[in-house]
Amino acid sequence: MQQESKNEFQGAGKYILDQELASIVNISMKLEMPLLLKGEPGTGKTMLAHAIAESLAMPLIILNVKSSMKLIDALYQYDTLTRLNDSRFGDSKRDVSDIDEYIKMGKIGQAFCADRRTVLLIDEIDKADTDFQDDMLDVLDQMQFDIIETDRTIKAKHRPVIIITSNAKKDLSDPFLGRCNFHHIAFPDPKMMRKIINVHFEGIDVKLAENAIDAFYVVREIDSIEKKPATRELINWIRALSADPDFRAKDLITNQLPYLGVLFKKSPDYERVKNIATRRKMF
Amino acid sequence: MFLKFFYTLKEIGIPVSPTSFLTLQKALHQGIINNLDDFYTCARSILVKSERYFDLYDQVFAHHFEGVPLPENDGFEVDEIARGMLEEWLKDPKRVADALGVNEDELKKMSPEELIEYFKERLKDQKGEHHGGYKWIGTGGYSPVGHSGYHPGGMRVGGESRNKSAVKVANERRYKDYSTAGPLTQAKIGEALKRMRNMIPAGPKDRINIDDTIRETLRNAGEIELIFDRALKDRLKVILAIDNGGWSMDPYIHVVQTLFDYARSQFKEVKTYFFHNTIYDYLWEDTARYKKPKKIIEFSKLDPETRLVIVGDASMAPYELMAHDGSIHISERSGRPSIDQLQYLAKTFSHCVWLNPVSESMWGYTHSIMTISKIFPMFELSLDGLEKAVTSLMAKS
Repeated sequence: MQQESKNEFQGAGKYILDQELASIVNISMKLEMPLLLKGEPGTGKTMLAHAIAESLAMPLIILNVKSSMKLIDALYQYDTLTRLNDSRFGDSKRDVSDIDEYIKMGKIGQAFCADRRTVLLIDEIDKADTDFQDDMLDVLDQMQFDIIETDRTIKAKHRPVIIITSNAKKDLSDPFLGRCNFHHIAFPDPKMMRKIINVHFEGIDVKLAENAIDAFYVVREIDSIEKKPATRELINWIRALSADPDFRAKDLITNQLPYLGVLFKKSPDYERVKNIATRRKMF
Repeated sequence: MFLKFFYTLKEIGIPVSPTSFLTLQKALHQGIINNLDDFYTCARSILVKSERYFDLYDQVFAHHFEGVPLPENDGFEVDEIARGMLEEWLKDPKRVADALGVNEDELKKMSPEELIEYFKERLKDQKGEHHGGYKWIGTGGYSPVGHSGYHPGGMRVGGESRNKSAVKVANERRYKDYSTAGPLTQAKIGEALKRMRNMIPAGPKDRINIDDTIRETLRNAGEIELIFDRALKDRLKVILAIDNGGWSMDPYIHVVQTLFDYARSQFKEVKTYFFHNTIYDYLWEDTARYKKPKKIIEFSKLDPETRLVIVGDASMAPYELMAHDGSIHISERSGRPSIDQLQYLAKTFSHCVWLNPVSESMWGYTHSIMTISKIFPMFELSLDGLEKAVTSLMAKS
């Protein structure tokens, strides 16, 4: 085990790693299985892939899944339009009779063709249709796909480290889940949050950080909030607070919370919190 | 190795697949797993594919490796209520004793373990004798000794599991909020909304429109121009009918309304109506069921594709459902028994569900629930039930 330790993931600069997660990442890498991450937005699912790439010094390839995406878009694109134009005007340097000249690799294709092991992040897979996931199964299982136009098979030179994230907007299909390892990233507790904040704001005023985090966890607990503020919102909020010259850290305890709009992005949520905050002040 | 562990997981209802078990064996053979902590995390990430089952997994793990007794099949819920009662007891022994109708001093003699056992016994008794036995003890928080809600510390524990043993972590039950059983509460709204999101019919723009393509190609002097259409589907209309009559429904009305309020943007329209116990001649648009009645007959004018969601405990005396003059409102005397009206609604809207906050295991005890569940597909008002209800509403008829 010891000699392998340099290939193990141990966290990176701006990413506070939870040991549990680290061992899951390492297991998935060794079993060569994709790792599926779920969790509230802002718990650092995407950041993890960045951190793995950074710590293992592998190139990171990101596939941002969109709702209308077909698997083929992620594999390769056959640029018919350019070819048509080239054949008509004949002024390009490309060889029109060679279809390969017009095949562009998509993100998965790029990861497969890369000369070294890469980290492939498939971000927010739940946005796409279930068809997308089902189609992807074979590709990830076999680590290869065919280019229909040229009848060529692209085989992965190095199995990429695959991280898949999902916001659980839709459920993923069972066969798909069967091929992944799964982890749910829980929301960080206040202690963890302190560490995260400290990494992001070096030399931050201790009082400010403490009060802001306290207030943050209080507003998170308010009933029936649709979109709870996450780490990203807290970081932005602290940034806003420290940018305001009139702001004093103790205001967070005694007065109404400023810049609530940074924390709450949905208008019903915002109204609700604002009402509660005002009421608190009255007492 | 660990076959028994695997089968305990399966028995308790976690969908674990043999393939994933083989993967776990592979991991064990590769020597990646060196201690129990590793095993806890790895086995979970390999075997359990949804955070919904993390809580159950924790319980099984604690049971298997530390001999922590598994809650009996009466359900994990009862266990939790009993624990809640114990906490309540520690705070205010007299109130609990009064609520249970026993002597405070007698309870005082017991150790905490004995107390929990005693509470559980009481809960079981209650289940057997009463129909809605849960009402007495109140899972939703409307009784004097209701369970204290989900562990506030529950899911917020982040990393640093190295300092604790895996069993201890398992025992903390951090994932309780994601567990799918149990009634819907405010805390679960976010999770519930995710279930609702499946109610959007929409697809990618991937249908080629031949007519338009030909026309555009002609206009373009033969240059091929492809026109794509989105598969045509309209957003859904939803009618939400809520029983806001009795106190038994109170804890749920707000939850359900908030749920649909938040989900409103994804529907074409959401109309909310109210009724008491069951539906007779009218549904009301106002919560007082007084100002704005709407005749049931008029609902047939609406789009039959509208999704009808009825929320109610469906618990009432049989005559309220069957009799010609069952309604407690004097003005509703059309002579049609409620059951006819319900059947009429079910026939008008082919996509309809009845959500019932009463736990599914109790339905068999109440006659009116059985009758109504024959008319409407009935689901529990829990995350699981909601998911099934949405599937049923979206099924192609």
